[in-house]
Amino acid sequence: MKKILLWLTLFMLVMGLLAGCSNSNGEGAEPRKTKDGKIIVDFWTFWGSETRRPIIEKIVDDYNASQDKVFIKHTFLPWGDIWTKNLAAIAAGNPPDVIINDINSVSHRAKNNQAENLSKYINNADFKNKFYPELWKTVEYEGDPYAVPFNTDTRLLFYNKKAFKEAGLDPNKPPETWEELEAYAKKLDKKDGGKYERIGFYPLWGSFGPESWMMNADNGEGYIDKDGDVAIATKEKVKALNWIKSWNDRIGNENINAYKADFGSEQSNPFIAGKVAMMIDVGTFYTQIRDYGKDMDFGVAPIPAVSKNEKNWSQGGGFVAEIPKGSKNPDEAWKFIEYLTDTEAQTYWATENFDNVANIKAAEKAQSLLEGKDKEVYGATVKNMEVTKLHPVPVNAPDYQSKINPTIDAVLLGERKAEEALKEAEKSVKQSIDQ
Amino acid sequence: MPPLFKYEGGFEMETVYANKKKKKISKKSQKVKAKNRHMIRSLRLREELSGYLFIAPWIIGFLFLMLGPLLFSLYTSFTNYNITSEMEFIGLENYKRMFTADQLFWTSLWNTLYYVLFSVPVTTAGAILLAVLLNQRVPGMKWYRTLYYLPAVLSGVAVYLLWMQLLSPSTGLVNTALSWFGIKGPAWLFNPDWTKPALILMKLWSVGGGMLLYLASLQGVPKTMYEAADIDGAGSLQKFFYITIPMITPVIFFDVVTSLIGGFQIFQEAYVMTENGDGGPINSLLFYNLHMWNNAFEMFNMGYASSMAWVLFVIVMILTVLNLKLGKKWVYYDGGDEK
Repeated sequence: MKKILLWLTLFMLVMGLLAGCSNSNGEGAEPRKTKDGKIIVDFWTFWGSETRRPIIEKIVDDYNASQDKVFIKHTFLPWGDIWTKNLAAIAAGNPPDVIINDINSVSHRAKNNQAENLSKYINNADFKNKFYPELWKTVEYEGDPYAVPFNTDTRLLFYNKKAFKEAGLDPNKPPETWEELEAYAKKLDKKDGGKYERIGFYPLWGSFGPESWMMNADNGEGYIDKDGDVAIATKEKVKALNWIKSWNDRIGNENINAYKADFGSEQSNPFIAGKVAMMIDVGTFYTQIRDYGKDMDFGVAPIPAVSKNEKNWSQGGGFVAEIPKGSKNPDEAWKFIEYLTDTEAQTYWATENFDNVANIKAAEKAQSLLEGKDKEVYGATVKNMEVTKLHPVPVNAPDYQSKINPTIDAVLLGERKAEEALKEAEKSVKQSIDQ
Repeated sequence: MPPLFKYEGGFEMETVYANKKKKKISKKSQKVKAKNRHMIRSLRLREELSGYLFIAPWIIGFLFLMLGPLLFSLYTSFTNYNITSEMEFIGLENYKRMFTADQLFWTSLWNTLYYVLFSVPVTTAGAILLAVLLNQRVPGMKWYRTLYYLPAVLSGVAVYLLWMQLLSPSTGLVNTALSWFGIKGPAWLFNPDWTKPALILMKLWSVGGGMLLYLASLQGVPKTMYEAADIDGAGSLQKFFYITIPMITPVIFFDVVTSLIGGFQIFQEAYVMTENGDGGPINSLLFYNLHMWNNAFEMFNMGYASSMAWVLFVIVMILTVLNLKLGKKWVYYDGGDEK
């Protein structure tokens, strides 16, 4: 009896395994349909939060209501899984039809044949002109578009007006240059004995890293300049890195680390908690201040420029909508992407999320729909798009950051000289590109 | 010399009796032997079969779920596969790149070796020490044992986050405690010289699992040995080093082998405790598996990542074989079970 049971269990186990293996190839080339005969278009996003999910689902519902042949099925995948799952699905020949993907790596997916070439759908310049040119640049690979920009972000200087007044600074005159920034920061520092109660500013807190400061100093040129050459150890970048180092020297690595270890988000965000008087962050940081800052009196300003005659270069990122290679309904998918990136949906996304959108008209319209502080901050982010630069990951050096960042760490910790360290990083990135 | 004892009668009687019995049996068995041979064989077959049956869940799992991916990754390591690409065979190119062009490979290997080299002896010694302490006869010992074992129950990300707070340079408990003794603690996770020691310290916190094994084996050391040593006038240190340690060497051996293998697999700690899982300040926490993971799931260089996995496998394999060879020299198996 026991033996029979054992055999039975084993048999079931094997059958289960076989069934599990065969299930995945069950679907043929026929597009899947709803019960009432509509073609199902799979749409993957990572927007599952309480705030974002209802917004994207409203956009999807609106679109579905207007269609009688197509049904968009929105699927939320966690941030950590979505790209890997997408690639696995492409490899298995069963990808989603539309996916929201990272803007800085479109060319990689184009090169590796993971996204559909959209040039057959985009046959006039009008479409392209709807979007910020800096964003559009990232979606092209060898002259053809492989995605459409959806949303973006830009970084601004947030400053605490109350702290400004306390320090005897004009709350309506934010710092415009690095020099002013430093002078203001020193005034805003508040010390009790040897300990900082408030630090005026520290360049690397918030979301403006060493690479952003170096870009800001180097006329908006990233590690790879506009001609596609490696430009890591330029004079300006060396200067910028030394400048950041000077903050470490003045405030002290120890104080910086001690301070940073206690940073959190929401109420314990150092800017909202009043522990740091000025901080650079993305536009949507405003919603955190609004929700957790209890009527905090603050202002926003462009990133200070390296000197009077330079521009206030800022750093941006964002996401695109694209059709994964092998989608069964590319035409229907494209129609939906068109809707997703058109004025109506983009305006809705912008006003509800406070996010910067890729569609220029929608961004401006959203600004006009908002009021009060919302309008002030959103307006500042829209204006900031003029000086916002994106730095896509170079196709032939996907790991360039991992080569540069450790050398920057070493410089900031005082273990190496900026020029020599950046030169070495430049050499190493060049090598990997030439390979 | 005549033997002191002379009582052989009983023995003789027994031998005679036994021989008679044997004869009887052999007579009988000769008849049945031929008949039984078949039955015995089928019994043995059945026994073997049920043996396989018992390990079948593992075998099935291995064949269906592991062997395939294993061979796949071996083949992948000779290609430039990136999940969606054709698998183009590029020979030893990945291995060549690893040893000659990828500086981070050596960094990550060094970091991992450093970690293993320190964490294995330290945690082993820590676990033994703790087990010896908890093997004393003190009232309330059950509570102490539970208390020290508790950290081993907790695991994963929650513990790492907790330790990030404990290791906070200014307000963390570790540095606060150090300051009571006038020691100014380091910046731990922010200082590249202290990041790895910080992780090793963290590992030390959860030696409870190993401790439990040692505790069990300590209680298996025969009391008579200690009594004999007492009579011979051995001190407690001598008893510890000449009786306790040799008697628990099998468990030490097991602990060293498994924690060595586990040590090479360190990943989560670095992934969680560094910003964006990027390997910490100056890549001081870029462990082998983190570098491999970044290649596989950040850059999707599956071919390269697979070849890294196989190199790690070979390294761990060599060390384990070495361990097994060396183990014969110092591990004592009670009952002289020599293998």
